[in-house]
Order: sequence, then structure tokens, then C-alpha cells
Amino acid sequence: MELEQEAGVPINQPHAKKRGEEHYSKLYRKFIFLTLICSLVPLFLVGWGIYAYYSGFSKIRIMNYFENQVEHHREIIELFLRERTSDLQLVILTHSPDYLQNPGNLRRIFSIMNQGSSFFTDLGLIDDKGNHLAYIGPYDLMDKNYSQAFWFKEVMNKGIYISDMFTGFRKAPHFIIAVTRIEGNRKWILRASVDTEYFRSLVENVKIGASGEVYLSNQEGILQTTPRFSGKIMGKAPLPIEFFSKESGIGIYEADNNNPSHRFPRQLVGYTWLKNPRWKLVVKQDYAEAFRDANQANRAALISLHLSLLIILVISVISTRYMINIIKKQDSVSDLLNKQLVQAGKMASLGELSAGVAHEINNPLAIILTECQVMKDTIDDAPSLNNEVRTELTASLSQTESQVHRCSLITQSLLKFSRRSKSQREMVNLNAFLEEVIGHMEGKAKGIGIQFALDLEKDIPSFPSDPSLLQQVLLNLINNAIDAHEGKPYGTISIGTRTDSSRHGVEITVSDTGSGISPENIEKIFDPFFTTKAVGKGTGLGLSITYSTIKGLGGDISVSSIIGKGTQFKIFLPFRPSDNDQENQENVIIQPQSSILKSGANNEKT
Amino acid sequence: MKKPRILLVDDEMAFADNLMKILSKRGYDVIVVYNGADAVSMIGEKEFDVIILDMKMPGMNGIATLKEIKKKTPFVEVVILTGHGSVESGIEGMQLGAFDFLMKPVKVDDLQEKVSEAYRRKLVQGKRG
Repeated sequence: MELEQEAGVPINQPHAKKRGEEHYSKLYRKFIFLTLICSLVPLFLVGWGIYAYYSGFSKIRIMNYFENQVEHHREIIELFLRERTSDLQLVILTHSPDYLQNPGNLRRIFSIMNQGSSFFTDLGLIDDKGNHLAYIGPYDLMDKNYSQAFWFKEVMNKGIYISDMFTGFRKAPHFIIAVTRIEGNRKWILRASVDTEYFRSLVENVKIGASGEVYLSNQEGILQTTPRFSGKIMGKAPLPIEFFSKESGIGIYEADNNNPSHRFPRQLVGYTWLKNPRWKLVVKQDYAEAFRDANQANRAALISLHLSLLIILVISVISTRYMINIIKKQDSVSDLLNKQLVQAGKMASLGELSAGVAHEINNPLAIILTECQVMKDTIDDAPSLNNEVRTELTASLSQTESQVHRCSLITQSLLKFSRRSKSQREMVNLNAFLEEVIGHMEGKAKGIGIQFALDLEKDIPSFPSDPSLLQQVLLNLINNAIDAHEGKPYGTISIGTRTDSSRHGVEITVSDTGSGISPENIEKIFDPFFTTKAVGKGTGLGLSITYSTIKGLGGDISVSSIIGKGTQFKIFLPFRPSDNDQENQENVIIQPQSSILKSGANNEKT
Repeated sequence: MKKPRILLVDDEMAFADNLMKILSKRGYDVIVVYNGADAVSMIGEKEFDVIILDMKMPGMNGIATLKEIKKKTPFVEVVILTGHGSVESGIEGMQLGAFDFLMKPVKVDDLQEKVSEAYRRKLVQGKRG
């Protein structure tokens, strides 16, 4: 019969429920919180520290690189202009004006100057009156007079002049480089127009991605080249003059969202001024593109950081659950041990109390008995006493003696309960032992229609135990089982054994088909003086003694029951009781050693 | 015929007095004392066949009294009465030379039987001695 799984209440069932799920939920939340605080905060601080440092560092590096690119490009442009100026100076200083006035000679020199690339659009020799002496180029400018042109005045004053972009007689944006030769009080000017498209491609020859653009503007903010996206040559430069406060620098320009000329709302801008002419080289790029790689690296770092946070969170949750489960198990064991300790303490205290009470009651009982005897003797010595009175008194005294005897049995039980002694261990063949015990009880059971059903596992090895104590335990349980059938005849008492290899011992089950024990009573069933029997039929000590005895033998006992169906006791006994069990035996309460037949069986049903 | 002389030692006066009355009626010569010291004194004054000795008494307890008695009169038979009901205390008494022990509350008939047995042995030992 397997009752425990149905509705039974094992006495030593773990009491983890007493702590409640709320307790563990609170503990769980605390653990999670502490784990996360201890792991996430340092990670978060270190992660964000590294991120912020790397972010700033990469920004500075990119801006430095951008600034270097601008400076490098300025040098290239200035070098180009110096070289072209030097070309013209070389020509005018190494060739006489007469030689250069010859169109054939000038053409030959022009073609030599443009041999590497098409640097110049045209080339002209002009006298100090502003008239063309010779001209090689695509425009019809031979008869033009430049005496009123701004650049003519500048070159006459300075000797070398590079103009801003202007349209001039050809009505197309261009700029010129002009140099002079002085012989006596005469001056000749060699003037060349730089190829605008070539110059533009030179200026824009900076690798600045898909959003970058480069342009030159003069001091008035007029574009000297056509930018890639915003504006046109000789138009107004897209960035305000105020932005360029220093000789060179780099900054971030936040564009006005309403201005359609700005394709990119936030731009990284590097700038520097050319020495001659005073043009401003501006290199700008969409901020997002300029910092794309760094931003991607930062994003990757942030993703790694968040992934780490997530992993820590998951690990914390899993590890905390694992820990809580371990704590639950430990608590269960602890609760069980506590309960057993309380039970043992209760028994010990009650044992002490019982001994004292029994002794104190025994003396008055002894006196009552002797008083009864004195009265009996007195009645015998009074022949004149009325027979009816004599009979009545004699019956009353017999009843008194009978009740004293009953009290005496109770005090004897109390004294047995409190008695301590060492168990005598010897090898026990459990199955044979059980059959012997049952043999003694069969007569009593059959008399009230109860039969025994045995289910004994074969080959259970003999093990050391105290057969006398075991006998008392089994007799007590069997007597209880018989008593449980009161008012319910024709039942069965099943006794089984099986090896419990996980605990290296044997399990004995004693089940009955009696009336069962209610859940409110089953928790108290091993408590001393707890009984469900009628007054005068049980002291409530039998199962307490059984419990203590089994504990003393290093074993365990549990009970389960279903009202109306029956009760099952399970006893576990170890194959190898430890020495501690022997010592514990001295501290538990046991039945006195007596034989089966003499004991008359302890039939207290607790 | 000489009555068996019994010394009854018990601090429970009512019990001791009742027992004395009963045993006296049943043909015993009973002297009662209520503590161990008086019992030891009485041993020096008179000769007894059987001593009924309570274990738990104030002052000199049963075991101590028994030791003193056995020192003075090794052949007197002692029946121990105890309210403890412990086998150990009874056994201890018997190891010190007591005839047997009974647990309170004891029926007078049972006690008388035990006393008679003790007396018979005393007589046998007396003849041998």
C-alpha cells in the first residue's frame, strides 16, 4: 500500500513550505540585485570609461588627420602656383622682349610650358602701356589694352602678381599670373591665364569620401573654384567669413536646416590661408561620414558592452536560481533536522518530567494500596459487620486497588519512557526476525478477523541492530494496526521489506486497512502523551518510544495515512549504524528489554 | 516460634506505618524508622532478619544506607523498595548485597512473598554460618 503519495503527511516531510515562496522570491530578488550591482556597475563604469576615452581619442586623431590633409593640400596648391610663377619668370628673364614678341617663338615657349600638362590657357607679352605685343591663346585679345585692368596696376607695382578669379575681356572666370622684366626705364609683362579646369581638379584632388568638397575663396568670401556640391565659381562661398577666425584650423559647422545649399547639417571643416594669393583653402566633409569608422568601432564597443551586460544578467539569473534551489534544499534539510532536534528535545524534557512525576505518584499509590490492605484487614477483623456493608466495602476496596494498579501501569510506562540504557547490538536477519514477531501476533489478529500479508524482499543481508528494541517497535506498530481495525473487522496488515541501496539500509513498511488518522492528528502522532484512544486504553507513549528507539538505532520513521483507508509506517534502518548512533541510543528513550510474550505487547496507539 | 524481625526503612511515614500494621498482623515483628541514619543506628542495637529499604530518602539515601548496613551485618537480607522503577538502581542495590528489589506501588502480598523468600534464605545462611 502506497499511501504517502496520495494524501499522507509524513512526519519528517521537509518543511521548506514554512518559509514560503515569498521568502525565496525576496531572497532571489536580493541576490539578483546584489549580483547585478557587483558585476554590472564596474563593467558599466569601465565600459563607458573606455568608450568615452576611445571616442575622444579617435575624434582627435581624425581631426588631426583632417587638419594635416588640409595643410598638405595647401602646400601642393602653393607649390603649383610658385612653379607656374617661376616658369613665367624663367621665360621672361631668359628671353629678350624682342625674341618673345615673335609669335612663333612665344608659341614654342607656350607649348614647352604646357608640355607636362595643360597648365595655362594662354600666354601674352604686354608692354608698359598695357598693349599686347604678342599673344598665344584661344581668345582674340591681341588688340586689347590692359592699362586700366586692376591686375596690370598690381603687377606694375609688385613685379609678380597672381590675381583672384575674374571674367575680363573673355567673359569667363579665370585668374592670371603675371611677371615683369625691367630694362632701363621700360617694363614688359609676361602674363598667363591658368587653366581653370586643371586648377579646379588640382584643388579638388583630396580624397574626402562621398560627401567631401574642397574649394578656394578669396578674402571677400568669393569662390575661386566651383565646389562639388554648394555654390559656383565667383559666387558666394557657402560658409560665412566669421567661421574662419584663425589663419588655419578645424571645426564643426552646424548648418542652418532651412538653408537648402547645405546638403549636410553637420560638417567637419578644415581651412587654411594661402600666402600668395590670399586665398582660403576649405576642405569640408559630412561629420557622420568623417567619423563613420570611429562611430562604427564605438558602436561595436557599445554592442559588446551591452551584450556583456545581457550575458551577465542571464548568468546572474541562472546562477541565482541555482543558488536559491540549493538554499531551498539546505533549508529543507535544516528544517528537518530542527524538527528532529525539537522532537528529541521535547522527548528528553518529557522524559525527565515523566521520571519525576512517576516517582512522586508511585509513593502515594503505594500508600493507597497499603491503606486498602489495612481496611481489608480491619473488615476481616470485624465479624459483627453487616454482610451487605462488608460486601460493599470489599468491592469498593477492590475497585480502588484496581485503579491503583491502572495508575501503576501508567507510571511504569512513564518510567520506561524516561529510562535510558545502551542497546545490545547483534546481527539480525530481518525477514526471519519479522516472521518470528508476526508469528507471535497472528493468534491475536486472527481472533478479530485480521490477516497478515508479507512482502519481504529476498536476500536482505543481516545487519547489526538490537533485536529486543526492534521487537518492541514492531509489536507496538502491529498492535496499533490491530487496534486501528476496531469497528472495522476483517482487515489486513501488510508488512514489507526492501533494500534501500541509495541510503545503504533497509526499509520496513507496516500498513493497515484500518480507520486511518486525520491530518490534524498525524502531525502530533509521535508526541508523547498524544493518543486517539479512549480514556484508559492508551498512555500516548508507545509511538514516542518507537520514534526514539528507531532514531537511536540510526534509522528513521515516517507515517502517512488516509482517513477510512488506513495508515502506513515506514521505518528505515541502516546496514551500518554509526558509532554515534550507539551514543545517541543513550540519549533516547526506549522500551525495557523483555520478551515478546512477557510484554503482552504495548498496545498504545498514539 | 520466633517471629521474623523486620526493619522497615522509609521516609513515607503513612506507607511505613500501614505496612508495619499489615505485616505485624501477618506475624512479623516490624520496627519502623524513617531515615537511613536511624536505620544504621538501629542495626547496632538490634538484630534483624530482613530489612525493607526505600531507595529515595532525604539525607542518607537507600544505597548509602545499604552500604552501611552491609558493613555492620553482612548476612542480613535486604529487600529494596523503589519508586524510581529503574532497573539500574535495583541492580546496583543487588550488587551491593541486596536480596531483591520491588517497585512501588507494590501489592502487600507480593512484598510479603519477597520478604518470606528473603527470610528463608536468611535462615539457610544462618544455619550454614
